[in-house]
Amino acid sequence: MYNFLIILFTKILNRLLKLFHKNGGNILGKIALKLNSNILKYFKVNCPVIAVTATNGKTSTNNCIRYTLSQAGYKVISNSEGNNMKTGILSTLLKNSSLTGKIKADFLCFEVDESYVPIIFKDFRLDTLIILNFFRDQLDRNGEVESLILKINEFLKTYNNNLILNNDDPNVARLGLANPNNSNVYYYHADAYSNATKDMLDAGEGKFCPFCKTRLKYEYYQYSHIGKFICPNCNFGDNKIYKTATEIDLDKKVFYVEGIPYYMHNNSIYTVYNNLAIISVCSLYEIDVEIIQDSLKNFSLNNGRLEEVIIKDSPTIINLAKNPTGANVSLRLLNEDSLSKDLLFVLNDNVADGFDVSWIWDINFDKLKNVDRIVTSGTRAYDIAIRIKTSGFNENKIFAIPNLDDATKKLYETNNKKYVIANYTALQPTRTALFKLK
Amino acid sequence: MEKGIKILYLYPDMLELYGDYGNIQVLKYRLEKRNFYCIIDRYSIGDNPPDFSSYDLVFAGGGADQEQSILADDLIKYKENIKEAIQNGTFFLLICGAYQLFGKYYKGVDGNVISGLDIFPYYTEAIEDRKKRCIGNIVLNVKLGDISTEVIGFENHGGQTFDVFSPFGNVLFGNGNKFGDSKEGFFLDNVIATYLHGPLLSKNPVLTDFILKYCLDRKYNKDIKLEPLNDSFEELCRKQLLERFNIK
Repeated sequence: MYNFLIILFTKILNRLLKLFHKNGGNILGKIALKLNSNILKYFKVNCPVIAVTATNGKTSTNNCIRYTLSQAGYKVISNSEGNNMKTGILSTLLKNSSLTGKIKADFLCFEVDESYVPIIFKDFRLDTLIILNFFRDQLDRNGEVESLILKINEFLKTYNNNLILNNDDPNVARLGLANPNNSNVYYYHADAYSNATKDMLDAGEGKFCPFCKTRLKYEYYQYSHIGKFICPNCNFGDNKIYKTATEIDLDKKVFYVEGIPYYMHNNSIYTVYNNLAIISVCSLYEIDVEIIQDSLKNFSLNNGRLEEVIIKDSPTIINLAKNPTGANVSLRLLNEDSLSKDLLFVLNDNVADGFDVSWIWDINFDKLKNVDRIVTSGTRAYDIAIRIKTSGFNENKIFAIPNLDDATKKLYETNNKKYVIANYTALQPTRTALFKLK
Repeated sequence: MEKGIKILYLYPDMLELYGDYGNIQVLKYRLEKRNFYCIIDRYSIGDNPPDFSSYDLVFAGGGADQEQSILADDLIKYKENIKEAIQNGTFFLLICGAYQLFGKYYKGVDGNVISGLDIFPYYTEAIEDRKKRCIGNIVLNVKLGDISTEVIGFENHGGQTFDVFSPFGNVLFGNGNKFGDSKEGFFLDNVIATYLHGPLLSKNPVLTDFILKYCLDRKYNKDIKLEPLNDSFEELCRKQLLERFNIK
């Protein structure tokens, strides 16, 4: 009865919030948890529950899975707005459940913050867990990556359901061995793309075998520490692969899996990996290939994740980067583009960003190709300007302008193509400032 | 470029967690802008043993706990060579984990003890509560010979360092060697050891030039003049942050 009242109360609250055009976000979950810390156990779910976790790519991947399953005709409930901690997921459930806690859907699809996977799913069923990658991220907020991985590893020791893992990230692939009795582990892998390298170019983790501490051997690196690796001592990494991307052609925005072409919405190697995860999960749930093909080609979030817009006649690409790998992926894309470009980098150090901005020194600004000017902005505009200057970029072509409106105006003084990189709290204000110029 | 310095960069693949490599980039940038060369040699586990005394500057940064214990066993092999280099006047810049490793020992959260090089008499013990760390922006006042300057950085350490007889600076904002300490780091002649990331040298050109001048003067046995550089971004950055922390 008590839980019934909690749900009733939060539903009324949700209606009220809607009346005032406010989005509940995490609030409903926060209140419900205060009233009953065990409320997650109360919900009755009869459909498959899918969760995506990673350092980078959770929101895009989860939304594309949601979209694909909906296109296949299923009713999907998802935290598509990216509220990915316990309170956010609980809010999604509260909004979509009956008063008795029943969830009527064909699928539940969640993106889950890395540190919350063990916390949420000790009380809630989970049928398929997808893990994309682990990179260093906001060290002052999250701690070292290793401790995060160990927590998930602990959780997986007793987990027996589907586990979809990126076999090209040693920090992810190792989790397939957390429970040796789980026969439902599926690995995906991508063949080398045209800009794969023999050496690691960007900051990365997982240089040593987590099992025997031997230095891992890489056949190639795609980006950061993502690539084809093996432990020369204990063979860690030599897994049976469920889905492999072959013939990756980023100019044509296409790759193949089992001979079937998949066209992509954008041309980043990073997207190929996210798409492999989507193909793997959709294949496990027997979604038609044509539907998957269609959604990978057409689905886009338009929320600053490789968002493409035209502003003042200049093609503009906006991408979120919360950590070195996110920024390096954006710069990789910029360098693979042969046009003349200007770059805007917006760096904030608010609570949600982490106060520590030293991660920008792990961004690889060396050898920027065809970049004419760089504008920096945000609360840490000068820090990022110093960083870029030190990498050798002409200091007279760097403009550090903390005010966003002034910075975006400066950006559009030329007709070059624009690349915009913004960190977490900088992203939406940057989009707002950009769209004002439209 | 006839003149310049040679840097030994220790364990670049293991002590590289907080962008500390940026310190090497800043040193190189400020040397090359002034037409000095900058040679960077890297040493990590499995490489040929380096001769520390043949370098003008030795640098090591901070790393993850796990990697720190692996390399402590390796570093200890070079204890005598390192001591000799310090006595000979090679400059040592040690950040965070490296700072700790040059002391007596590091006691981890689980009570595990990693032996240090025991070159300096300080020691470090982690707080038992894993979640409690000294994390945040930090500003020090530092005396570099006749110069007094504010040093701005970022600290992120669980370890509390005790028995530092010669600290790097006085804390104006932030914690320091321990929670709420008034002193930060260790500084003795040609050794600076500190918790400051940021990276340390990126926002502190006066400190960087002090280190470079020391290395060049020592190497060429004369008073070498460093041409001023355009530090406008650094100056604006410092002004902005010092105002934010209500300093000056």
